[in-house]
Amino acid sequence: MSRAARLAIAALRRAAGGLLLLVGATFVIYITIRSAPGDAIDAISPMGTPPDVKARLMEEFGLDRDPFTGYIAWLMRSLFGDFGESLVFSPGAPVMEVVLPAFGRTLLLSASALVACLILAILAALLLGEPSRRQQLLTGPLYVATAAPSFVVAVVFVQFVNWGIKAFLVEGGYVPPSWYPLEMYTESLVPYVFAGLTLIAGDGLFMDFFNSVRADLNALRNAQFIAAVKAKGARTLGHIARNMVMPLLSGYAARLPIVLGGVVIVEYVFTLDGGGYVLLEAARERDFPVVVGLSVLFTATIIAVNLLTDIIRALVDPREVAHGG
Amino acid sequence: MSPLLSVEDLVIEFDTARGRRRVVDRVSFDLAPGEVLGILGESGSGKTMTTMAVLGLVAGEPGVMGGSITLRDGDDEIGLLSDLEQVISRKGKRVSKNCRKWRRMVHARMRPLWGRMMTAVFQNPRHSLDPLMTVGAQVEESIALALPDLTAAQRGEKAVDWLDRVQMNEPGRVHGSYPHELSGGMCQRAMIAVALARRPKLLIADEPTTGLDTTVRAEIVELFRALLEEERRSMMYISHDIREVLYLADRVIVMKGGRVVETETAENLRLGRGQRADYTAMLLSAADLPSGAAA
Amino acid sequence: MGDSRLRVGLYLSGTVVGLVLLLGVIAPFVPYDPADAVDYDQLLQAPGMGHIFGTDGQGRDVAMRLLKGTEAFFLPGLMAAALATVFGALCGAVSGYAGGWLRGGVLGTMQLIDTLPRLVFIILVCTILNPSIYLIAFVAAVLFVPSIATVIRRRVEALGSEDYILAHVAHGFRPVRILLYHILWLQCRPLLIRQATYVFGYVLFVEVALSYLGDYGVQEPDPSWGNMVAQARGLRGVSAWPWAVPAVAIVVTIAGFLAFGNLLARADEEEVR
Repeated sequence: MSRAARLAIAALRRAAGGLLLLVGATFVIYITIRSAPGDAIDAISPMGTPPDVKARLMEEFGLDRDPFTGYIAWLMRSLFGDFGESLVFSPGAPVMEVVLPAFGRTLLLSASALVACLILAILAALLLGEPSRRQQLLTGPLYVATAAPSFVVAVVFVQFVNWGIKAFLVEGGYVPPSWYPLEMYTESLVPYVFAGLTLIAGDGLFMDFFNSVRADLNALRNAQFIAAVKAKGARTLGHIARNMVMPLLSGYAARLPIVLGGVVIVEYVFTLDGGGYVLLEAARERDFPVVVGLSVLFTATIIAVNLLTDIIRALVDPREVAHGG
Repeated sequence: MSPLLSVEDLVIEFDTARGRRRVVDRVSFDLAPGEVLGILGESGSGKTMTTMAVLGLVAGEPGVMGGSITLRDGDDEIGLLSDLEQVISRKGKRVSKNCRKWRRMVHARMRPLWGRMMTAVFQNPRHSLDPLMTVGAQVEESIALALPDLTAAQRGEKAVDWLDRVQMNEPGRVHGSYPHELSGGMCQRAMIAVALARRPKLLIADEPTTGLDTTVRAEIVELFRALLEEERRSMMYISHDIREVLYLADRVIVMKGGRVVETETAENLRLGRGQRADYTAMLLSAADLPSGAAA
Repeated sequence: MGDSRLRVGLYLSGTVVGLVLLLGVIAPFVPYDPADAVDYDQLLQAPGMGHIFGTDGQGRDVAMRLLKGTEAFFLPGLMAAALATVFGALCGAVSGYAGGWLRGGVLGTMQLIDTLPRLVFIILVCTILNPSIYLIAFVAAVLFVPSIATVIRRRVEALGSEDYILAHVAHGFRPVRILLYHILWLQCRPLLIRQATYVFGYVLFVEVALSYLGDYGVQEPDPSWGNMVAQARGLRGVSAWPWAVPAVAIVVTIAGFLAFGNLLARADEEEVR
């Protein structure tokens, strides 16, 4: 069988596995809904919901049936993107219309933070090379810095930014330069930039990334085949770059759940209108269809990214397909 | 004839948990053009570190601490360690070395020499090839460096030709295979093809048969012999197996505990002529060869 | 030389861990009524004799709230760490040692749990069920089982083909004993220590994060390190103490636990070798 055919089969198998995982994960979410104490419908609807809306919710979530058929009915709607209508957050609007644009912003924010983090980590690892003795002494304090949860980093950021701006306004009479394209704080990129920085610095994301990239890079530099490439007088850069793709990808996939958790908090702190912010607001107002819709979207994102990295890995590494994965 | 490579008073040291340890202690030897020099010694005798120093690939700190290594390139003589004193500083009894600077200097010096002057085949053939590239592509990489004017198609033909010359069955199929699809012996053949396709003046084989099955080892040794008979090459063959070394080498140096204990022609060793150092005598008698008169 | 640095790190992080354990143990026995503590004559005092960490926006002693705040995460964190480690070790050992449908089933379940976005799922659970910190800790423990199981499974798989384990099998030791004692206890102990401290750190993180967000964690006036930081939003840079103290406490505690787990594991590994 040709390599392309084997690749296609492996990709299909993984896609099927991903779909199965999505079904399983949504089942977990559904069972969680059904496990509400007392009457599930009271647990999932806001106070003072009119009876006709309650009836509609009952039907949408299949609460009037046994858990299994109820799940199937709910899944069939959900898989086609029908998560019902928002109750409180944006009453009457289909959940997908409320949630998708916000979730898109969340994805953009986390993806750019991850990419920036990756580039910074690679640059730092290249620049610093093997850890010297002096650097090893620094690891202790750095360790403390990496343990800061994203919201602590965010609070510190907000404090200092407020401080800085206040200082400018009072003492310097701050006037934005004419080329400055962003309006302060409203509808501008500034909070997004800060949110991205917070994501990178918080939850140990950067240090974690940097440490693993550096360890992988140094292991690779000392690998025997790199010595062999050197000894024959060829450039090692291409060989190292290609062999770094795999560890980077797995690192990327492994840290996605952390970033998706961090983004929820960071959006809340910087009041960015993203999926995490909507999730928390909807949860507060007990707008259940929106909460569930977002949970499914977050889960689906993790599955999709894992699937994508698996496929890229199969494309880059011939050993992956050979094992039949 | 002046030697292609001469090593004099080479000293290599490493820092360990129990202080600094000298792994190569004032080792000296010469290698004439067209000569096969065998380096024989048990593991830990410093033979691999000596060859790594010649290649400029000593990993670990501080590494090379003294001596000289001279390569003859046509009429030029290149001292690989001529700048060593610049990075070594002495404070009383403490001798320290700026390893980062030294690594950069070695890189700059070796870059034009690697491949053209010498290249190497290592132990653990499975780890010597880039796992993400086909074997053919890696042989072609060498060919492109040795003969930059060839077209892609010519390079492909030559690569298959090289794989055939290292006695690979189905060289065409191997050309498109990845290293993990090959056995250890086949990986080592591929590695030899990669090294020879680069056309080095000196080939260094560092325990090329370690980790291979007995029958495969014999095949690899036979392959080296056949390649040497086909064309006279300068080579360093490092092994802990006295039979392999005596079979391939013209001259042998025996190392133990970081020192050279004996330098002798292979013929004299084979025939048991002359005086033997105790250690060599022991190796010879362990291999059921005439051990000659003890020194 | 590396040895002495390891020991210094171990002492430093051990002090942090010991201090947090001490605070966690004595906190329940210290009487504290949040309503009584309000004192409008002593708003936002800087650290001094009467209040070693100053007072907050309602004149409450920050040090006292810091102490009582440990109640929110201490026992739940220990519980979650124990639960996640035990179940993670078991699932990892089973999936690494057994074959067939058992292995497939455990692996599938682990993969399933691992795809759930942790914080989002915890928030979902909190909207449905009555949110209590013990529930949150339990969910966090379940969510961490797969990552522990994966680490253990890799180790078990690697060890399964080691000669001395095969020798144990040949000597006729019972598989359960080999698995529980020779593999899990002797070989995986450093890994388990590391993972357990990690889970504890995560529960602390979730607790303070949820309390910070304000809906599911500890509610004012009861203290939590998270809602203490949250009050910074109202203070607008008037005084940094009320939020800086708990923020530093959070960071130092998480770092201390992570470092302690790592260093203890490394020391254990070196001893085994």
